Amino acid sequence: MTEYIVKDKLTFLRALASSGYNLIAPISMKNKIQMAPTDPDKVDLDYLNTFLSPKSLFFPQTEKMMAFHKDLTKSDAFVYKPLGLDQVKPSVIFGLRPCDAKGLSVIDKIFQNNRFTDPYWNTKYEPSVKIGLACLNPGPNCFCTAVGGSPFGEIGLDAITLVRGNGFGLKTLSAKGEEFLKNTSGLEIGDLTGEIADLKKKVEASLPLPLDLSKVQGATILSIFNQPHWKTTADRCLNCGTCTFVCPTCHCFDIQDEQDEEGGVRIRNWDTCMSWLYTVHGTGHNPRPTKTERMRQRFMHKIKYIPMKQDGTCGCIGCGRCVQLCPVNIDIREVAKQMNQG
Amino acid sequence: MHNPYLPYPVRIAMLRVETEDKNLRTFKFEFLNLGDEEKFAYLPGQFAELSVSGQGEIPIGIASSPTEKGFVLFTVNRVGQVSSFMHNMKEGDVMGIRGPLGHPYPLDRLEGKNLLIIAGGFAVTTLRSTITWMLQPQNRPKYGKITFVYGARSPGLLLYKEEWSEWQKRDDIDVFVTIDREAPGWNGRVGFVPTVTKEVCPPPQNTAAIICGPPIMIKFTQPVLEAAGYSNDDIIMSLENRMKCGLGICGRCNVGPEYVCKDGPVFTLTQLNQLPKEY
Repeated sequence: MTEYIVKDKLTFLRALASSGYNLIAPISMKNKIQMAPTDPDKVDLDYLNTFLSPKSLFFPQTEKMMAFHKDLTKSDAFVYKPLGLDQVKPSVIFGLRPCDAKGLSVIDKIFQNNRFTDPYWNTKYEPSVKIGLACLNPGPNCFCTAVGGSPFGEIGLDAITLVRGNGFGLKTLSAKGEEFLKNTSGLEIGDLTGEIADLKKKVEASLPLPLDLSKVQGATILSIFNQPHWKTTADRCLNCGTCTFVCPTCHCFDIQDEQDEEGGVRIRNWDTCMSWLYTVHGTGHNPRPTKTERMRQRFMHKIKYIPMKQDGTCGCIGCGRCVQLCPVNIDIREVAKQMNQG
Repeated sequence: MHNPYLPYPVRIAMLRVETEDKNLRTFKFEFLNLGDEEKFAYLPGQFAELSVSGQGEIPIGIASSPTEKGFVLFTVNRVGQVSSFMHNMKEGDVMGIRGPLGHPYPLDRLEGKNLLIIAGGFAVTTLRSTITWMLQPQNRPKYGKITFVYGARSPGLLLYKEEWSEWQKRDDIDVFVTIDREAPGWNGRVGFVPTVTKEVCPPPQNTAAIICGPPIMIKFTQPVLEAAGYSNDDIIMSLENRMKCGLGICGRCNVGPEYVCKDGPVFTLTQLNQLPKEY
């Protein structure tokens, strides 16, 4: 992997934008910092993290999957044809926080699982070049280090940068990143190893210590599922779904059909396990009938089920969005501690 | 890249009202495009998403056996938007099927064993597939004695009369069809599935049970099998949950860390005993 010095931010961003890829980077939209396609001049690097997670770049909140028409004079009336899978211009995403990049890699293993590949995710995620921006001043709600991450984390990234004077330090992390950046103008080979190690140590020291989840890992599913605290933990939960909306690793969706006189589309929309409708059977039976079961599902999924399926990787990446935005101040760290205590 | 969300277009070649309450209809589908039938290669126990353009999709167990060529069969209970719409469709109408999804019954692992197959109500669908498959001359020698217990509330609610009447005439399967209460014109067995199971179940040595039915039937049949000495590894069940994608991605059908769609729907009782009862 190669280490580079980038002298000037704007020159570099302009080089990314003229690479034949769509530049996606943090910009200010309605007073919130968001990841969006942008001109290099509008990129805003003064942010703790984007307001919403970057999952919508590959998994939009609403997405048309296929369409049909009702013209019975044609032989393919009422037959669905896929949408949105044509060769699209790939994106270079600049400024991903390492926690969010790790979050994307967690749901990538779900969208591309041991049996099926989701083509709508795959066509956007696979060709994109993901360049991270290390966190030098983490926010008050950040806790990546508590759940196995780092402000300099490399998982899910093709390259990582850190702000350095008027420019960046840059380190490639994958063959894709190496290939993409080797022809980018404005880069000088440099040596950042010592600098990164020092900064990483310093910033990590300012972040929370790892959560002790050893008992959760060792315990059976049912022993955690049946812990008595769930009822009281869920007492104040409103099942509003804000946590699932902002979470980088919440990937659930609903599929719905819409139609008019001429035809229709099948779309998918983000869904939330906090909703009663999410699990109700046609018979009216609901396996998760009250908010307690629904809230428990979310925390079990993040802290027990995903680690079981992904070699111990926690389903929470410590971005702190749910902690910040939960209207009743439920803190996933407190719930995790309770799960570990029994 | 294969798009697992895209249904194969099919035509309703035949439909049949299965039960006297008219709530169950069997749909026989033929693939519109050459080659799709081969792509839809399935085994007994798998399911598919039945897809009606503009209405939505429903996950339904495959009732036909892969040995029945040229068509696939599904029996659909009228419950919600899609199934109600399907009940108003006609022969010749075009819709879609997407799959096969889920894992089949462990047909390989069951080789050499006696089988007790227990069905209640309209959960018999994938067991119709299983028995039809097992009774094929090339498959029948792989299995020992086959005992089939099938119950419904009344004679008019029994599905697939033609099939099980034929099976009753054979000497390589023991068929016990029962209804809950006496009914005019019914000369067969009367009694609940657990009671009949207790009476006719083969000894547990080298025997596996496959059970599909309503929760209440499973609840009372399980103790009968336990008392008879069946091991939990040899009690095989198929779960249902609300589903959308069928691919282990959209989230909702999970039971603990397992997705009913992708990792199931077939589980042994040993597996289920380690999972929350969120189904």
